[in-house]
Amino acid sequence: MADGVLSPGVNLEAFSQAIAAIQALRSSVTRAFDCLKDGMRHRETLEGREKGFVSAFQDSLHSVSRDLGELERLSNLVGKPSENHPLHNSGLLSLDPVQDKTPLYSQLLQAYKWSNKLQYHAGLASGLLNQQSLKRSANQMGVSAKRRPKAQPTTLVLPPQYVDDVINRIDRMFPEMSIQLSRPNGTSAMLLVTLGKVLKVIVVMRSLFIDRTIVKGYNENVYTEDGKLDIWSKSNYQVFQKVTDHATTALLHYQLPQMPDVVVRSFMTWLRSYIKLFQAPCQRCGKFLQDGLPPTWRDFRTLEAFHDTCRQ
Amino acid sequence: MGVTCVSQMPVAEGKSVQQTVEILTRKLELLGAEKQGTFCVDCETYHTAASTMGNQGQAGKLMYVMHNSEYPLSCFALFENGPCLIADANFDILMVKLKGFFQNAKANKIESRGTRYQYCDFLVKVGTVTMGPSARGISVEVEYCPCVVANDCWNLLMEFMQSFMGNHTPGIPSVFGNKHDSIYSPADSMVQYMELFNKIRKQQQVPVAGMR
Ligand SMILES: [Zn+2]
Repeated sequence: MADGVLSPGVNLEAFSQAIAAIQALRSSVTRAFDCLKDGMRHRETLEGREKGFVSAFQDSLHSVSRDLGELERLSNLVGKPSENHPLHNSGLLSLDPVQDKTPLYSQLLQAYKWSNKLQYHAGLASGLLNQQSLKRSANQMGVSAKRRPKAQPTTLVLPPQYVDDVINRIDRMFPEMSIQLSRPNGTSAMLLVTLGKVLKVIVVMRSLFIDRTIVKGYNENVYTEDGKLDIWSKSNYQVFQKVTDHATTALLHYQLPQMPDVVVRSFMTWLRSYIKLFQAPCQRCGKFLQDGLPPTWRDFRTLEAFHDTCRQ
Repeated sequence: MGVTCVSQMPVAEGKSVQQTVEILTRKLELLGAEKQGTFCVDCETYHTAASTMGNQGQAGKLMYVMHNSEYPLSCFALFENGPCLIADANFDILMVKLKGFFQNAKANKIESRGTRYQYCDFLVKVGTVTMGPSARGISVEVEYCPCVVANDCWNLLMEFMQSFMGNHTPGIPSVFGNKHDSIYSPADSMVQYMELFNKIRKQQQVPVAGMR
């Protein structure tokens, strides 16, 4: 049965010869290395020893190159398997006689359909999003619309100077909030946001896109031993661990792919409402504490304070 | 270090100091607070020695030298209403050398010892205040660790204290009043303990019913 499939494109005679050639090549390579490993054999004179070794090694290298040449010749004769099947070699899976036990082929087809569909929808979505694009990114859209691999999200390719400007503007917008920008790891910016005497936030950015954020107490250390911003360890206080969770949720909420600066500004505006973290009672139950925690949630729209469990 | 409120819990009617402490700590444990070892705050009183006083005949000022197990390497020296000095722990040895200027009123030594509890971001220390061999009262210290500005979290602190101290919840400590939005420091806690100890020393003169 396998013959029937392979034969149109494959020369079976050459195939078996090629396998033999591979075996020959392997044994000659082994011999070459054996020769190297054994080194110089006992001879009367040093000169004789060197000569004997060099010639033996030369011989074994020659046979390696001869066998390699033979294998190359045969591999041209073997020919290519048929490419008639739309799924190429994976199409051979359909010939598996135990279809019931290994339904690989039908799963593969299903996955193929899905991936086609996904590509189609992604294309439509990209078209829709591009209609709302800003001027500064319009150029790039025109050029690279056809060339898929080049079409990176625009937010990832903004110049650092532009990022600096946006952050500076936000810094000036809120007097009780100070933002320190640094670039310890190349072009990606890291922000240390200090909000009054309440909390500090480490914001890791990729271009103008906020990647990660960690909230810590005002009196907590935000640097590692070597003086870099510590972007991994969490706060020692439960209240700031909770706020960190909410801030991460906020990053997912404030999304506007074509206007990253608006996203950063909205996020910072939301963050600023934590200036009253310890002073604002919950807008639903009217209390300060619930399970030992103050209202750690801030509504995305109204910025009102709620306990985690008191929000809708 | 966060913001701390130190207060006195009156001894419950018909109960001893020890029994009242037990009632209080049981309430804390029911709330979900976890025991975390012990604590101790002590305070020694020094008089300015007669030789250093001018001939105006004014009464000498009192100086208090205090230790807090939360800051084992430090020693606190305070005047009433005056400055608070934070020094290394061997400041005590210096005081011995300064015998000619400051005299230790040994009988006035007072301390609070008890258990340290943690609940969420709160630290609670319930201590028995002793002077010499006998128990004089109960101190309750509540710290909210994440916050550094006293007036920011006073309401929150008060709500927490109400949950286990009921109607014995204290009013706003006087040290909070002149802090505005400056950062709360360990010295502020020591001032509160000093004030509490002074209050308890005075109470000692009038025996309170229910204390042994
Ligand atoms: Zn609530």
